Amino acid sequence: MTEQSQILIDVNNLDSAYGDRQVLHDINLQVEQGEILVIMGGSGSGKSTLLRNMLGLMKPRTGSIEFGDINICHATKAEISKLRRSMGVAFQGGALLSSLSVGDNIKLPLRQHTDLDENTISIMTRLKLELMNLADHEDLMPSELSGGMLKRAGLARAVIMDPKILFFDEPSAGLDPVTSVELDQLILNLRSAMNMTIIVVTHELESAFTIADRIAVLFDGELVITGTVDEIKACTDERVVNLINRKPRKNQLDADKYLSRLTKGAN
Amino acid sequence: MFAQIEKLGASVIASFDELGRFGLFLNSVVWSIFSRPFGFNDLLKQIAFIGAGSMPIILLSGLFTGMVLALQFYAVMVDFGAVELMGAAVSKSLIQELGPVMTALMVIARVGSATCAEIAIMRNEQQFDALTCMAISPYRYIMAPRLLAAIVSIPLLTAFYNLIGIFGGYVVGVYLKDLSGAVYMQTILETITWADLKMSFIKSVIFAVIIIWIAMGKGFFVHLEKGVSGAEAVGRVTTKAVVVSAIVMLFADYIISSFLI
Amino acid sequence: MSFDCSEHLHYKLLHLTGEVDLHNSSEVRRCLLDILKQGKSVIVDFSDLKYIDSSGMATLVEGLNIANKNNLSLIIAGANGAPLQVLELTRLNQVFTIVDSVADIKE
Repeated sequence: MTEQSQILIDVNNLDSAYGDRQVLHDINLQVEQGEILVIMGGSGSGKSTLLRNMLGLMKPRTGSIEFGDINICHATKAEISKLRRSMGVAFQGGALLSSLSVGDNIKLPLRQHTDLDENTISIMTRLKLELMNLADHEDLMPSELSGGMLKRAGLARAVIMDPKILFFDEPSAGLDPVTSVELDQLILNLRSAMNMTIIVVTHELESAFTIADRIAVLFDGELVITGTVDEIKACTDERVVNLINRKPRKNQLDADKYLSRLTKGAN
Repeated sequence: MFAQIEKLGASVIASFDELGRFGLFLNSVVWSIFSRPFGFNDLLKQIAFIGAGSMPIILLSGLFTGMVLALQFYAVMVDFGAVELMGAAVSKSLIQELGPVMTALMVIARVGSATCAEIAIMRNEQQFDALTCMAISPYRYIMAPRLLAAIVSIPLLTAFYNLIGIFGGYVVGVYLKDLSGAVYMQTILETITWADLKMSFIKSVIFAVIIIWIAMGKGFFVHLEKGVSGAEAVGRVTTKAVVVSAIVMLFADYIISSFLI
Repeated sequence: MSFDCSEHLHYKLLHLTGEVDLHNSSEVRRCLLDILKQGKSVIVDFSDLKYIDSSGMATLVEGLNIANKNNLSLIIAGANGAPLQVLELTRLNQVFTIVDSVADIKE
């Protein structure tokens, strides 16, 4: 952390659970202004839960998540509302409202929260659509879009108000490699042109290494390491090494138990 | 044996859980009606769907019900020499009972199922999460217009049902059974009181709230359904919404009738 | 954010200072449209502009469109830093006439 960069999001001692099942254990994480932080982990590592906590969609069991001097776990509705207007979230499937066209979906935050002129709103929307290569799709309904287009439309909506912080849930999931690379480039451009701080949750190694300033690696609800791409590559923790080298999890085979699993219930 | 008791206890607790959730849900929706901005366009769209869109089935079913009522009453009344009371009988039955209940059932079938499924799918696709993260209240933006639209539309639909049912009875009575049209209408005027109309109206408003509340609530909490997800969960909650709202509506019908008859 | 209007040759000079964003872009819009309605061409001076968001860019795009329709011109001068990057990211640097400084405009 340089002296210049301030901490935008401070996650402290976060424990999160669904009922009795604890999903996150003592997470400590800081997001610096202007950085691209990638939260990585396999399925079931708790990265989606961490994201939901950071977005205020879930309350943690213990711990705090501070945005400046506002703790999203204890803030008033008005404070959270104000905070959310400077944040953008791009969800996995786009999460567009099915009854509105693409254009109206993107315009929604502007129409609800600002009193900008319709002309301005219209041009802003088209600027974002052009950025996402969706220029001709403004009047289509979400049901008429492919998965990749839905994602980009969702991203357009997430950045329509030029948020200070952008959250991106699994950007590359379901995208072809070319689109995925374009999306990576877009994320980098957004950060430099708009000075956005971007938090990406993903399990795609290539993307992560391309875009990340820092990567936070989760395993079974624990934050194993947070560091730059080089630090992650140099990490000696077995789980991280396996993740990077894409080795499948190796369970020691117990031959007797294996045989009995295979033949359960046979005469 | 203890396992059975545990199961019973767990399901009782789960039921109270659900009741509490639904209560809080309705509370949030009602309060959100007073938040700004108010979605007037959405309200109109919902009235068009719930009200105007249901008119064809309301008019058809109302007509047939009225016709059947007249046939049924005639068969009984003819032995007592009381057929001149046909108009009174048909209209009383419709206004007090069949109008509100049948309208509610038709709306449950059409609107209750569609609304529940739509909201369940929105939940599954994280649309409510997206709205929340955009600082747009899902209660204000999605739920409140539907609640208000139901409260506006269903009493009106009930009124139409009553009217066309009375007309259906008229057609059967006068053209099939050779009753006097004037007597039919006269007995209606003599028998139907403001209390009857009030009962019809109160029932329809309460049924409206029950129908839309249960439909939206079931859809909204689809992610809490145990053991299912995705399309299967949507199907399950929609079925439950239809069945539960029908039964609760009939129960409410009894309660209201016992107070007002 | 503040802005002031002056003259440069036959143009009206709109000098933007600070940051143009959602909260104040409507003011800029009003001023810009007024100038164009008076039939004057505009130079928008970016040299003291630290930040401009898409509502600000949309306002300038709207202005450019009106200018073109009425045979007026809208020129951006002195774009640097973040605003220049926004122009590049949105490819509007190929749409607007952009000069390095107001002084470069000699006629």
